[in-house]
Amino acid sequence: MTGRHSLELALPGASIGAVAGAMAGGLTLLAGQPTGMAGLAALALAAPLALFGGLYGMLLGHGVFRPGTFGPVGLYWMAAFPVSRLAQELLAPTGALVEGVPAFLAYQAMIALGFGIGFLWMHERLMPHWLVRRADGNPLARELLGTYLRFAEMMRTRKSARKGARR
Amino acid sequence: MDTSNTPPATATPPVEDQRVWKAGRLEPMPIRKLPDAPPSVHLIGPTVFLVALGVGMGESYMWPRLVLLFGPEIRWLFLIGVTLQAVVMLEMARYAMATGESIFSGAARVFKPLMWFFFIVAIAVYIWPGHLSAGAAAFEEITGIPWVVTAVAGLILVGVIFTLAKVIYNLLENVLSLLIGALVLGTAVVAAMVGTWGDVVTTISGMFSFGYLPAEAMTAAWFPVIVGACAFAGPSGMQQMWYTLHLRDSGAGMGVHQPKIRGLRHAGEEEEVPNRGFMFDTSDPAEMAKWKGWRRWVTFDALLLFWGITMLVTISFTVIAQSAVRIDPAVRTAIQGDDREVALTAMSNAVSAAGSSVLGVVFLGFIALIGLNATLGLFDSFSRGQADMTFHFVPGAKKLGMSKLYAIFLWGVIIFGILILLFGPAEGPSGILDTLAFLSTFAMGAYCVTLLLVNNRMLPKPIRPKWWSNAIIGFGALFYLGMLFYSLFAYGVVVG
Repeated sequence: MTGRHSLELALPGASIGAVAGAMAGGLTLLAGQPTGMAGLAALALAAPLALFGGLYGMLLGHGVFRPGTFGPVGLYWMAAFPVSRLAQELLAPTGALVEGVPAFLAYQAMIALGFGIGFLWMHERLMPHWLVRRADGNPLARELLGTYLRFAEMMRTRKSARKGARR
Repeated sequence: MDTSNTPPATATPPVEDQRVWKAGRLEPMPIRKLPDAPPSVHLIGPTVFLVALGVGMGESYMWPRLVLLFGPEIRWLFLIGVTLQAVVMLEMARYAMATGESIFSGAARVFKPLMWFFFIVAIAVYIWPGHLSAGAAAFEEITGIPWVVTAVAGLILVGVIFTLAKVIYNLLENVLSLLIGALVLGTAVVAAMVGTWGDVVTTISGMFSFGYLPAEAMTAAWFPVIVGACAFAGPSGMQQMWYTLHLRDSGAGMGVHQPKIRGLRHAGEEEEVPNRGFMFDTSDPAEMAKWKGWRRWVTFDALLLFWGITMLVTISFTVIAQSAVRIDPAVRTAIQGDDREVALTAMSNAVSAAGSSVLGVVFLGFIALIGLNATLGLFDSFSRGQADMTFHFVPGAKKLGMSKLYAIFLWGVIIFGILILLFGPAEGPSGILDTLAFLSTFAMGAYCVTLLLVNNRMLPKPIRPKWWSNAIIGFGALFYLGMLFYSLFAYGVVVG
């Protein structure tokens, strides 16, 4: 049961990872590339990115990460993104490894910081909506939603103070 | 703190603070409580507007183009431009968060004609719908739909959305956040697939080649282009000034005491807009602690979200452009030409031709996305700024209310835009193009001077900027105005 609860928290992050990965292949298809090649390129990146995106959601639910905090997420993707790209290059090679694996990984780790910003940006938008839907039957979701609500409550208190003060 | 009315010493605190802060010749600001700052590490806030407006043609076209022409070393100017803009952002936020007023009101407190100057410049520069053309042209490349049709449909859509929205800020923040999230994620994925370690090393090391200016750059043909690119590094023209309106509307700092602008359909529910901003008690250590929290909050925005995303997008686009030239050397010739659409199409074709790992359509898709972001942000910000100045400083305008004034400016610029797209020159009449480009860059130098005056004269001493911050903003004024006038007098051309 706990496993299912954790998996539910993985959905928003996994979706963002999958969509970001699929962008690479799915839109290559529009650019006139062979279907098989584009599909493989998409899948080879979307699958690991979805996996790591989902894992982030689960770790968030278990309190390893704090909501909306960039530093640890940046480090997480600096490891996860290069691994995902390496997996893609091994399954659907595009010649990106010509400079050697270390240079390839270093470059991907740098880009990963940017990817991390985009990922967290989207995740913070989607996760609270998902938690509201799942809070009833999932104690992990309820607890995480509580963290988001405490922050929202703080913002609401600020806003209700504005009406009394404005005159 | 300069107060005109000290509260009586009573055992029970007064319900409402009667003290005021006198700033300039306008109505004094009542002293109110500063709200608690949100955690400094956050990801959702008004900076999304500045990023949406700022990440535009400068990042996706002008700078990649200069890198291909003069080498990556030219990017030291970009580093200076964007870093300068991050400091400008922090200083714009200082006044807006401390008072809940826009920088336009701050300028009016110093000298009212200064504010009217910005009012007129905004109309002269921003009513022309030329900024729609790049995004719409990229969309035409992908779909075949004529760009004028897309541009007109886009204009009407923007008007309808902002008219129906209950609270415009919330709607726009949500839409732009999703668009920018998609842009950042997508750009990172594309750059990860087409770029190499070598590209990124030259791109980044080039940012530290301070003083590099090849002989060719110092010519009448290219120096004005460099001036234009410097002005377009990050937010250009009046976009930073509009950011203060978004800060106020998001309830940042003393903006919490100001109501939000509503769409025309919900204008009847509008709350009363006060005539002036507010000030907090800067002699109270507890209030100053909260102020430091707000400064941390906005510094996080300036460094990570604004500086970080702008850098990421421009490094990614530069890497994409470098890959495009490697794939097809003819792209370099196309980029050297003056035609932006030809250059963008050539870059897109080159990355498309390289095989399954590169994405010409995605490239054009991003150009269209950047255009859409800029259009949404620009129309809203323009209307917001003009409505703010009209509401506070045109006699009788208060009767209409802020939301109706916003709608008048919004639909005014949309209808004018449609007429010009259908019957006139989209960029503006060719005879005044130079003047418009001049005004846009001049406004940036002018707002640096305005910022120095407003923050150092209209704010209480404890929250005025530090000397180094003043020095950077002063340098900004010299940077923009100096380059502009040097170009004008040395080459007889304003901005390319």
